[in-house]
Amino acid sequence: MTSIVGIDVGGTFTDLYYSADGVSVSRVLKVPSTPDDPSLGLIDALAKAEIAPDGLDLILHGTTIATNAVIERKGAKCALITTKGFRDVLELGRRDRQRVYGLTGTHRPLVPRAQRWEVDERLDHHGNVLTALDESEVRALAETLAQEDVAAVIVAYLHSYANPAHELRTAEILRSVKPEWQVTVSSEVVREYYEFERTSTAAVQGYLQPLVARYAGNLAAKLVQGGYTARTLVMQSNGGLIPLSQLAGRAANIVRSGPAAGVMAAAQLGLEAGFDKIITGDMGGTSYDVAVVVGGVPRIADTTELDFRIPLRLPMIDVHTIGAGGGSIAWIDRGGMLQVGPRSAGAVPGPVCFGRGGTQPTVTDANAVLARINADHPIGLTNIDRLDIAAAREVLDRLGGELGLGIEETALAILTIVNQRMAGRTRLLSVEQGHDPREFALVVFGGAGPLHGAAIMREVGIRTMLLPPFPGVQCALGCAIADIQYDMARTVERRADTLEVGWIAAVLGEQRREGEAKLAASEAAVDRVQVSHVAEMAYIGQIHALRVKIEADWPAARLVEAFHEAYRRENGNTLGDIPAVVVSLRTAVRGERARPPREPSPPVDAPAVPSARRPVWFDGWHDTAIYDRASLLPGQRFAGPAIIEQADTTAVIEPGMAARVDGFGNILVEMAS
Amino acid sequence: MTQSMTIDPVTLAVVRGALEQITDEMDLNLIRAAISPIISETNDCAHGLYDAETGETIAQGGFGLPLFLASMQWTVQRVIAVARAQGGFKEGDLWFLNDPYISGTHLNDVVLVKPVFVDGELFGLFANTGHWMDMGGSTPGGWAPSATEIHQEGMVIPPLRLFEEGRYNASLIRLITANVRMPEELEGDLAAMINVFEVGRRGLEALIGKYGKATLRACITEMLDRSEREMRSYIAEIPDGTYRVEDWFDNDGVDDAPLKVALAITVAGDDLHFDFTGTAPAARGPMNISDSTTCSMCLVSLKHIFPEVPVNGGAFRPARFTIPKPSILAAAYPSPVGGTTDVTQRVVDVVFGALAQAIPDLVPAAPFGTTGVATVSGRRPESGSYYVAVYPYPGGYGGSRVSDGLVNGTPPSSMARFMSVEMSEHRYPLRFDHYAIREDSSGAGLHRGGCGTSYRITALADCLVTVLGDRVDYVPFGVQGGGPAAPNGVVFTLAGKEWIPPMRSKAERVALTAGDSVSLASPGGGGFGDPLLRDLAAVEDDLNAGLISFAIAEQAYGASIVKAVPHGGRIRYTLERKAH
Repeated sequence: MTSIVGIDVGGTFTDLYYSADGVSVSRVLKVPSTPDDPSLGLIDALAKAEIAPDGLDLILHGTTIATNAVIERKGAKCALITTKGFRDVLELGRRDRQRVYGLTGTHRPLVPRAQRWEVDERLDHHGNVLTALDESEVRALAETLAQEDVAAVIVAYLHSYANPAHELRTAEILRSVKPEWQVTVSSEVVREYYEFERTSTAAVQGYLQPLVARYAGNLAAKLVQGGYTARTLVMQSNGGLIPLSQLAGRAANIVRSGPAAGVMAAAQLGLEAGFDKIITGDMGGTSYDVAVVVGGVPRIADTTELDFRIPLRLPMIDVHTIGAGGGSIAWIDRGGMLQVGPRSAGAVPGPVCFGRGGTQPTVTDANAVLARINADHPIGLTNIDRLDIAAAREVLDRLGGELGLGIEETALAILTIVNQRMAGRTRLLSVEQGHDPREFALVVFGGAGPLHGAAIMREVGIRTMLLPPFPGVQCALGCAIADIQYDMARTVERRADTLEVGWIAAVLGEQRREGEAKLAASEAAVDRVQVSHVAEMAYIGQIHALRVKIEADWPAARLVEAFHEAYRRENGNTLGDIPAVVVSLRTAVRGERARPPREPSPPVDAPAVPSARRPVWFDGWHDTAIYDRASLLPGQRFAGPAIIEQADTTAVIEPGMAARVDGFGNILVEMAS
Repeated sequence: MTQSMTIDPVTLAVVRGALEQITDEMDLNLIRAAISPIISETNDCAHGLYDAETGETIAQGGFGLPLFLASMQWTVQRVIAVARAQGGFKEGDLWFLNDPYISGTHLNDVVLVKPVFVDGELFGLFANTGHWMDMGGSTPGGWAPSATEIHQEGMVIPPLRLFEEGRYNASLIRLITANVRMPEELEGDLAAMINVFEVGRRGLEALIGKYGKATLRACITEMLDRSEREMRSYIAEIPDGTYRVEDWFDNDGVDDAPLKVALAITVAGDDLHFDFTGTAPAARGPMNISDSTTCSMCLVSLKHIFPEVPVNGGAFRPARFTIPKPSILAAAYPSPVGGTTDVTQRVVDVVFGALAQAIPDLVPAAPFGTTGVATVSGRRPESGSYYVAVYPYPGGYGGSRVSDGLVNGTPPSSMARFMSVEMSEHRYPLRFDHYAIREDSSGAGLHRGGCGTSYRITALADCLVTVLGDRVDYVPFGVQGGGPAAPNGVVFTLAGKEWIPPMRSKAERVALTAGDSVSLASPGGGGFGDPLLRDLAAVEDDLNAGLISFAIAEQAYGASIVKAVPHGGRIRYTLERKAH
């Protein structure tokens, strides 16, 4: 038995999920985050959960510090050293603009031009040296930089993925001049071509490393101080964990790990509940995140844009976001049409009904006015004990006046429009990826997700919605159930039919050994090691490549076969005899933690009993059953309209829908037949 | 109002969202399924639903290129006229064309128009466009800078029925594939574009099933009316008056004489008139575009100024156009149109230039204004295989009331990106010597323009280089007292000697041998506002970052040096500005 706690430190709340036996839930809770020192909120959550420090084996932890530091440009002052002629790669990007329409606004690179330096050196794309590294120039530059308050130095040379020698030698010289510098070498962060994306990724790593190192040190000290002896692992954006001790060196890998953790948890819950294909919908205060999971495996994106012109080329769970959340503001456009979002009232001033000075009607106000949220038990609010419904009605009355709608009609209109936007994005994501969304189950979570899931499911035409046991702390649960993972990648960019026999196996073997060594160094207790390989392949000339699952001992011809199969699956056809190119080879080494399978509980033979009834507006006021989530037991069924209340969220079951509790405590909702 | 059918505001909003969703899904479907990398990788396509009677845009997908914003509507309207003359649309028909005098842009953009019938009655028209890789003609890819007639650019398809009441006319396609360089790819793209209409039809039928035909129609009418109102509300805020601007192209690539673009925008209440009277007659070379593309680019410019206006026919109603025909902005047979990538950018520039006089706080200075495509072709020495590499210019955007201009922007009509240098070196026997921000290329201003981009490509084996750009003699202008940007610069180095082509930034098939190179330097954007009002700290940053030289800091920004400290081979300046 391993006692574990998963903690997700978000921008507004720190969520905790605790399991004393590593299998079943013992406690969940939400406390306000402490942005000035996020480790405080984490320690606070541990204290509030009353977990005995010495009785805890594992702390699994997600954090937004890295994401926020990039968005708010609060990282370290860095210097960037590049190949002569290419110091602007980081700022230029690859010719684009912020949005399709509108030519104003600009871009703030993580390392400004005055801190970007060039040295004489040049490789070709095979890694052959065209111009030798001018070491004296590097040394002179290092001495110049040593006079400045530069905390981190990033080295990114052209074609270094093909031959890292110049980058490594530069790093050596830098360290010899000033050992306390954090030096980031692009080929160690991404062993792949695309100079802008690789340089940007290295810049993100360098920019975040000092801050993340400080955070890791601080947290480790606080845990020791509190008497916690548990091993601490941190969530990455690929859905896998790494030990706290390795965090600083992988600072870029923890960007946007929170949403990834939520998807991982949903994938696991979906598989357990018997759903092979799921779409996850995570709705919080400002945004709605959607992702696709097939066979328990979330779709992976190779490059993710963190902010305008700040791509991160690391494998990350492919999560798409739109600005639709509880705080999204409803407004009337110049054509007199009602719109919702993307502007949000945020946490401050927040919705009108929170009484913190918000004056514009939000999605949460609409839910409150329609009595979908219990005004007497607001969730996650520490300083008020009742929602101000009268104030919310007043702003909706004003908005409705312009549309010729009553208060409740206006509230419902707001929900209809925000639900349509979320349903639309959900559909687009699956269409983009070549799926029929109707074959998927929808797993909704986040503080606001379960309020809207029923409508999204209805709009998209999804048959089943799964409400996890603790939708409001899903990301904390995701941390708790994740495995340890290392990803290795290397650019190949060669025609498959030119690869020497045994070459693929050699590269993959090397990647495997590298991952296994990292895993061993992490000293994490793992039950078994899973190694998987992927080849990124394309037809010659194509820019977009497909990820093809392969085995280490496959000859090139077998790779090509697998590529054709994958291409047909994605696009419905192949391009015949056009030669295939192996763009890159990738290996994931996953250390799976011992995790006893959960057994479903047998169904009970007792009807679900509402804890209360209240009028809730759907197409009019309906006398509606209110269920306490904690009282619902496996096997119980009930019909919509219904509201399910729990400490971390509220769920809505619409009229005409039927709900049942499965053996794992999930609520499955379907259209009543 | 006693409209026969009152639409509740929620249904209206939901129907609008649902219609836009259908066309968005059509966009994504084609982007996924197309063979042409120009469609799948740069979204060079568009999908929309159009009114069967008026041809007005009901909804258009949000993933296609801005270029097609409104030009699809004019294309559909012209196809309606042709179809009517031939007995009208029948169930199972599918029309297609690429005649640029009708469908705008260039021969590679093929348009399909599909009537949708509901219960035997014509409900609307779906249409899409996609960029096909090759349509024949004298050069691969269809792009011939010294073309003097359309036939050198490829094969012209007038509006024809590819399907006639469900019967597929395979001979038409055989005729086309016999005349292009990549027939299999063409057939793949065609199939993908035809399949997308099924996605559209399913979506529309579901919507009709939910709301009924009558409600849907009423919603569409109301939606377009409201979008018109919305557009008019923006126009009404522009002070009444006539705003004139003139600008010139360097030349048409064939005759070395400047070509005038004249625009007078008249705002009267909530009406807008774009009058291009005085614009140069048709060019002999390929610097021509069709009138529908000109109109579309005017609306693209408006949307860049007012990003919130919806994209449908209602929003297009308040604008009227006067464009002399034939002219460089209203091409007629047999004018070549391959310069469309550069001519379209200039329409944006002049609309900005005119409206900057009326609404100075909302309009940025001119962006870099030339797509300056450099195309390199040759054979790879190791395999002998043939390649064509295309490098379209990035450049600076103009400064605006809110900020300095962006560097390395993509043209306003496009969202296409620049190739990775490392990827390029893997694929082609060409080496980049640098890829950098071009110093001293931005227009000075309170908010300066974004800098241009400069790069030099050295040939590692024999190859041919073609460039088609502009803005050497007539540079991107500043507004509100802001300065102009640096001119476009194209310099070849052949056998150790520098050579500037006679047409400056236009040259066809220049032969390079190993070691020869071409240097390209795109313009920046124009400046916004008086440079003397620019924050001194910002001028100092620009100087220390090497974005401007000391001469510019002194002359344009009125700064002088207090201190200059050598620092790692650079100099770090401290500036001051004397009161004037």
